[in-house]
Amino acid sequence: MNIEETKQKFEEAGYETWITERIAGVRNRVVRKTLWIRVDKKKIRNAMQFFKNFAEQYPHFSIISCTDLGNVVELNYHFALGYGGRLEEFVITFKISLQKNDLRIDSIADIFPAIIYSEREIKEMMGIDVINIPDGRHMFLTKDFPSGIYPWRRDETGVKETNKLYERWKDEA
Amino acid sequence: MKHDYEISVGPIHPALKEPIMLRVTLEGEEIVDVDVIASQNHRGIEWIGMNRNNVIQSLYLAERICGICNFCHPSNLVMAIEEIADIEPPERAQYIRVIQGELERIHSHLLWAGVAAHELGFDTLLHYVWMVREKVMDVLEEVNGNRVTKAIIMYGGVRRDITERHVPKIRKMISYYREAFGKLAELFLEDDTIKKRTRNIGVLKKKDAIKLAAAGPTARASGVKKDVRQDFPYFAYPDFDIHAITPDELIGYTIGDVYDRIVVRLLEVKQSLEIIEEALNEMPSGEIIYEKKLVKLMAKIKNSEGEAVARYEAPRGEDIHYVMLKKGYEPLYSWKVRAPTYINILSWRPMLLGYQIADIPIIAASIDPCLSCTNRFAVVKNGEEKIMSGEYFHKLSVEKTRRIK
Repeated sequence: MNIEETKQKFEEAGYETWITERIAGVRNRVVRKTLWIRVDKKKIRNAMQFFKNFAEQYPHFSIISCTDLGNVVELNYHFALGYGGRLEEFVITFKISLQKNDLRIDSIADIFPAIIYSEREIKEMMGIDVINIPDGRHMFLTKDFPSGIYPWRRDETGVKETNKLYERWKDEA
Repeated sequence: MKHDYEISVGPIHPALKEPIMLRVTLEGEEIVDVDVIASQNHRGIEWIGMNRNNVIQSLYLAERICGICNFCHPSNLVMAIEEIADIEPPERAQYIRVIQGELERIHSHLLWAGVAAHELGFDTLLHYVWMVREKVMDVLEEVNGNRVTKAIIMYGGVRRDITERHVPKIRKMISYYREAFGKLAELFLEDDTIKKRTRNIGVLKKKDAIKLAAAGPTARASGVKKDVRQDFPYFAYPDFDIHAITPDELIGYTIGDVYDRIVVRLLEVKQSLEIIEEALNEMPSGEIIYEKKLVKLMAKIKNSEGEAVARYEAPRGEDIHYVMLKKGYEPLYSWKVRAPTYINILSWRPMLLGYQIADIPIIAASIDPCLSCTNRFAVVKNGEEKIMSGEYFHKLSVEKTRRIK
């Protein structure tokens, strides 16, 4: 199933989709394509189940990236589909926006087991409450990391004291 | 009567080289459960890239995410930024990038082969492989001026050309490795002891590899024909006929054990030699950078806005960076780095279950794990754990200097 067919499938199911392109190669110019799909946070489980069911190949999960945009936190679930053939693969990203005052999202670790580390990571780094996460421990931060501080945030809960050592040297000089 | 024991391998353990912890539950010698505890350190690289550095500084920071993969991470960042800012690198630069990437793959795979030999207790082989590896390190030094952190890639091209002076040396290296390949293959693949320690050990079934999103040689050794250079090519890779290497090419079948991971890496060294040779033959002439003046380049990037996902087939597997830029904001607005080990450590569990304690080092090493360096450690005294930070050590050090003054 190619990128256009996948796009159509999601559009028919009522999702907003768009494609971005980038050319690679010198003698053999090829187009690398990325499919973006906007998903409402309530529909995340439906979208993922729908994706897994219609994909001919088990989707390859890559990573969840997470950005603090002020009042909104944006989550991107990156996947790749179509490996195994020359130039047949494309990136597929599900975009979900969460309001800052309601940072909750359903876990999809039962649908794609490889996602568990990323869900643990967004929980500790961005303070997102992943509902029904099978393992809610810290992933990369130590267990004594202060609660209520989230390194990826750009608001008052972000990290402020990382520069402490450097700042102190500056003061002494 | 059955006894369960729990042992910890790590946080710092001679078998793992880098800080990570495996909590293993045993019944006798057999491993019945595995828990990976990654939170041994966090360097906050993404934070620095998103808050403190400008984009050019972040390029050198990306190079320091991993010492071995010091070309992959900056390459990914460069690809993402070039896509957002619509920068088209010159043709020659795309070829030089391919050559640099493949030189890195050769040195990384040979480094791994040495470590694997060491984990099996075969230290003469470790020294032999690392001696052979020196050849590619010499070429890296000759071409880049440095063996490890090479600072070769730049937004819109590369910083140094591969000139007529370098080409004969690279060709000499290719023929050296072609000759050495037979001996390496014989030592690794036909030695009885290595076979006994790696055949049917640490098996990762194809369906598990797919489900756990394994990447790179770990996935390919289980028969998953997945290679970003083939599936989603970047730089000048579409010009080359690259296919994902699986162990059945050499031995006719795939098991997905540690032995198969050795086979895949050895064959990939051979594949890299072919790519480098073709790239040298076909390399177009011309410029190597889109914009020489860094201030102009910075201004262009600073005025760009958007987001992009970049993927790169690193020696250990697929490397992914997600980047978002905001107009007028100097650092990266969002930066997510996913190194291949991040996803490959998920495969440790199915690989280890059912095997013995003595197999832990070679199985753990077989995915070629790459963790980061240390900035704190834990002291456990009377069951109580205390974390000591870099800052605390700095304080101790200052106090000691004052004391002895």
